Amino acid sequence: MKRSRLPAFITLGVILFLFAPLVVLVVNSFNASRFGGEWEGFTWNWYVKLWAAGEVWESLWITLKIALSASLAAMVFGTLAAYALHRFRSWLQNVHHMLITLPLVMPDILMGMSLLALFVLTGVETGLLTIWIAHVSFCLSFVTMVVLGRLQDFDFTLLDAARDLGASQATAVKMVLLPLLLPGVLAGGLLAFTLSIDDYVITFFVSGPGTTTLPLRVASMMKTSRSLPMINALSTLLIASTFLFAALSSRLQRHV
Amino acid sequence: MDDFLVIDHVSKIFGAQRAVDDVSLTVAQGEAFSLLGPSGCGKTTLLRMIAGFERPDSGRILVGGQDITALPPELRPVNTVFQNYALFPHLSVWDNIAFGLRMSRRPREEIRSGVDRMLELVRLSEHARKRPAQLSGGQRQRVAIARALVNRPQVLLLDEPLAALDLKLRQHMLMELNAIHEKVGTTFIYVTHDQGEAMSLSDRIAVMNAGKVEQVDSPEHLYETPNTSFVASFIGDANFFTGVALEVLHEGYVRVLVEGLGSPLVLSNGAVTVNEVLRLMVRPEKIILTLARPLSGESVNAFRGVVEDMAYFGSHTRYRIRAGEHRILAQMQRSRFSGGEINPARGAEVWMSFHPDEGRVVRLEGEV
Amino acid sequence: MSKESRTVGQWLLTFPSLAWLSLFFVIPALLVIITAFRPADLQGGVGPGWTLATLREVQDPVYLPILWRTLWLSGATTLVCLALALPVAFQMARVGQRMRQVLLLLIVIPFLSNFLIRIFAWKSLLHPEGPLTKLLIWLHLIPENAVLLNHVGTVLLVLVYTQLPFAILPLYAAAEKFDFGLLDAARDLGAGPWRAFSKVFVPGVRRGLISSSVMVFVCCLGQYVIPQMVGGTSDEMLGSKIAQRVFSDRNLPHASALAGGLMLAVLVPMLIVVLWQQFGRKESE
Repeated sequence: MKRSRLPAFITLGVILFLFAPLVVLVVNSFNASRFGGEWEGFTWNWYVKLWAAGEVWESLWITLKIALSASLAAMVFGTLAAYALHRFRSWLQNVHHMLITLPLVMPDILMGMSLLALFVLTGVETGLLTIWIAHVSFCLSFVTMVVLGRLQDFDFTLLDAARDLGASQATAVKMVLLPLLLPGVLAGGLLAFTLSIDDYVITFFVSGPGTTTLPLRVASMMKTSRSLPMINALSTLLIASTFLFAALSSRLQRHV
Repeated sequence: MDDFLVIDHVSKIFGAQRAVDDVSLTVAQGEAFSLLGPSGCGKTTLLRMIAGFERPDSGRILVGGQDITALPPELRPVNTVFQNYALFPHLSVWDNIAFGLRMSRRPREEIRSGVDRMLELVRLSEHARKRPAQLSGGQRQRVAIARALVNRPQVLLLDEPLAALDLKLRQHMLMELNAIHEKVGTTFIYVTHDQGEAMSLSDRIAVMNAGKVEQVDSPEHLYETPNTSFVASFIGDANFFTGVALEVLHEGYVRVLVEGLGSPLVLSNGAVTVNEVLRLMVRPEKIILTLARPLSGESVNAFRGVVEDMAYFGSHTRYRIRAGEHRILAQMQRSRFSGGEINPARGAEVWMSFHPDEGRVVRLEGEV
Repeated sequence: MSKESRTVGQWLLTFPSLAWLSLFFVIPALLVIITAFRPADLQGGVGPGWTLATLREVQDPVYLPILWRTLWLSGATTLVCLALALPVAFQMARVGQRMRQVLLLLIVIPFLSNFLIRIFAWKSLLHPEGPLTKLLIWLHLIPENAVLLNHVGTVLLVLVYTQLPFAILPLYAAAEKFDFGLLDAARDLGAGPWRAFSKVFVPGVRRGLISSSVMVFVCCLGQYVIPQMVGGTSDEMLGSKIAQRVFSDRNLPHASALAGGLMLAVLVPMLIVVLWQQFGRKESE
C-alpha cells in the first residue's frame, strides 16, 4: 500500500524549524558583523572577548556547583520515592504520587513566586542555598518519574531468583536491583542536571546578590547590545557541549 | 526414601480465597514429580511455599527429614527454575551460573570447576561470556537450569519450564529435561498447566483443582483410571454420562441406566449402591465404531447412533455421534475400518461399543 | 516481611521526598494564597494584619485583556503544536529502530540547549538587521519597513518553538504503542490515507494527545520571559504582570493574588483530565 509522504515532509520541516535558529547562532558567532545580518568575514574575536569576560566563567562555576549538588540530592530522594511508589499501594502513596506529579505541571513562575514568598516570610536570605533548595524541588519529580519508569520494567522475580540462590534480602538489592536500576538513576540525574543548568525563571525569583547563575548572566548580557555577539559565542559553546553530552550519554546507555 | 519431600497439611489463604487447601503430598528422592492443574488451582502458590517465597498459614514442609517451613528462601536446600527464567540481565552466562556458589562463599577454584561442569552439562560452554539477551529461548532455559543445579539442591523446582518456548523447541526440551534429570538424579518438581508436558516429564503427577489435590498417580493411571470427572476431563478427552445404578455386580462392575442410550456395564471404582446417581466416563479412543452390530463378547456395551460430524487428523479420525440427546466423541485409527468395511459417512447409522473395563464411574467434581 | 516492618519501610522510603515537597512545594503554594489576603509593606515584604483590598485590586478591568490574551495564546500554541506534533509522532513511530533513535535525538537536542539561548536565537533571527528579515524582504514577501519582532505573532511563534518537543514526546510515546496494522485494515476497508489517519490513528493516540495538550497549555499559561523578550509592550501575559508586581512594584500580596488566579487556571484543566482519565479507565475495565 502506498504511504503518504506528507508526514515525512512535515517531520523534516519541524526539524529544520527546531535547528534553524541554533544554526544562525553558531554561524553568527564567527561573523565579524555585530548584528549578523550579513556575512562580514570570519572572526574568532567574540570568543576572545568571551574568554576575557571573567564574570561569565564565574557564573558557569556557580551554575555547575548548583546543578551537580542539586541533581545528586534529587537522585537520592527521587530513587527512594520511586521505589516507594512502585512497591506500595496505599493512601500514603496516592498522596505521595500526587505530590510528585504536581511540580511537573506547575508553571515555573508559580514555583519561583511561591518559594520567594516562603523565603521572604521566614526571613531566609536568598542566595546559593535558596537556589539549591529550589532546584532540588523541581528536579526531584523528574528523577522520580524516570526511575519509576525504569522500575516498571524491572522484573521483580529477579530478586526472588537471587534469594533462591542464597542471597539475603539486602544482598539481593545490592547485587541485582541496584546495578539494574543504576542506568535509570543516572539518566534521571542527567535530566536533573540539564534542567538545573537551564533554569532561568525559578532561579531569577530566589537568587540573591552574588549568585548570578549562567542563565541569569545571559539574561543581563542580552540587555546590553555590546555583549550580544558574545552570547552567540557562549551559545555555540553550550550547544557544542550539549551535543557532546548527548553523544556521551547515548554511548553510556548502549553499554549498560 | 519414599518421603524425601513431605508436604504436611499445608494451607495458604489469600484474603477470602483458600489458594492451597490442606494439601498433603510426599515425593521420593530422585523422583520427577509434577503439580498439574489449571491456572489459579494453587500449584504455583504451593511451589512458592516449597521455595520459601510464601509462608504457609498452617502445615509443615520437610526436605530429607528437616523441617524447612520457617526458613527464608536463601537458607533452603531448594533451587528454582523460574517461569521466565529470571536470568540476571547484567551478568554473563558464566556469572549467572556462579551466582549461587558465590553467595555461599565457596572457594574460587570450586566455583570455576562447578560452573564449567554445569556449562558442559547443558552444552553451553562456548556461550559462557554472553549476556542472557544474546541467547535463544532454549539456551536461556538451559542457563536457568544450570544456575539452579550448580548449587546441588536437594530439590529442583521448575515453574512452567516450557511455557515460554515455541512448540518445536518445547518437544526438544522435553527430551533434554528428561536426560538432565536422569544424569543428575535430583528430585525434580514441575509445575505445569499442560497435561502433555506433565505426562511426558514425570514419574508421578498430582492433579490440583481449587487448592486441593484431586489425585496423585503415575501418568498411565491418571489417564486410564481417573478417580474424578475433573481428572478425567483435564487429562485427555472424555465422554461423560449421568445415570442410575441398576445392579451392582460383585466383581466390581455396575450396570447403569443411562437415559437415551441404554444400560452399559462399567467398572464401579469403589462402593456403589443400587439407585445411586452416578457419573460415567469413557475415553473417545476406547469406543469402537462398526457399521454392523458387533458380535457377542464385545457386544456387552453396544449402542446405536448416527454420525453427526467427523474430522480427519491423519493418524486418526474423530467422530461426533448422536444417540438420543447425547453427543458422543469417538476416535478411530483408520486401519480399524480396513478389512472390507467402508468408513462411515455423515448421517450413517453406526454401532458404538466399548469393553466394560474401559467405562468407569468417576466422582462428580467440577469438570473442565 | 512482617506487616509492621513493611509499614516502617514504607514511611522511611517515602519520608524524604514527602517532607521535602511538603516544605518547599505545598507550604509555599499555600503561603502564596495566604499572602493575597495580607497588606503590602513598602520594603517589598508583607505587612501585619489581614485585608481583602488586594483581591479587589486584581478585579481591575485592565487585567481582562491580559487574561484573555494569555488564554488565547496558550490555546493557539497548543493547537499549532498538536497539528505539527501529530504527523511527526506518526512518522517517528513508522520508521525503523535506528532512524527512530536519530529522530528522537534530533528533536530532543535543541530542546536540551538553554531556554534563554533559544529565545535569543529567535531574537537575532528576527532582528530588523537579522538574516530572516533580510531574506523575506529580498523575496518581497514582506514590505521594506516590516518589523518581525515585538509582535503578538512573534510571541506565538516562539511559544510554539519552545513547546513543540513537549507536544511531540508524549504523542510519540503513544504512537509507539499504536498498532499500525489498524491503518492497513482501515485502508483495506476503503478509507483513504487522510481518513485512516484522522479516524483511526488520532483516536488511537488519544491519551498522548491529552497529555500533550495539557502539558503545552499549562506551560504556556505561566510564561512571561517570551512575551517580555520577543513581544511588544501590548503583548503581556498574566505571568508578565506577576513578575512585574514582584520585581518592579515590589508588591508581593498583589503578585500573590494574581499567582493564585493562575494556580487555579492550571489546576482546573489538570483536574478535569485526571477525573476524565479515571472515569475512562473504569469504563474500559
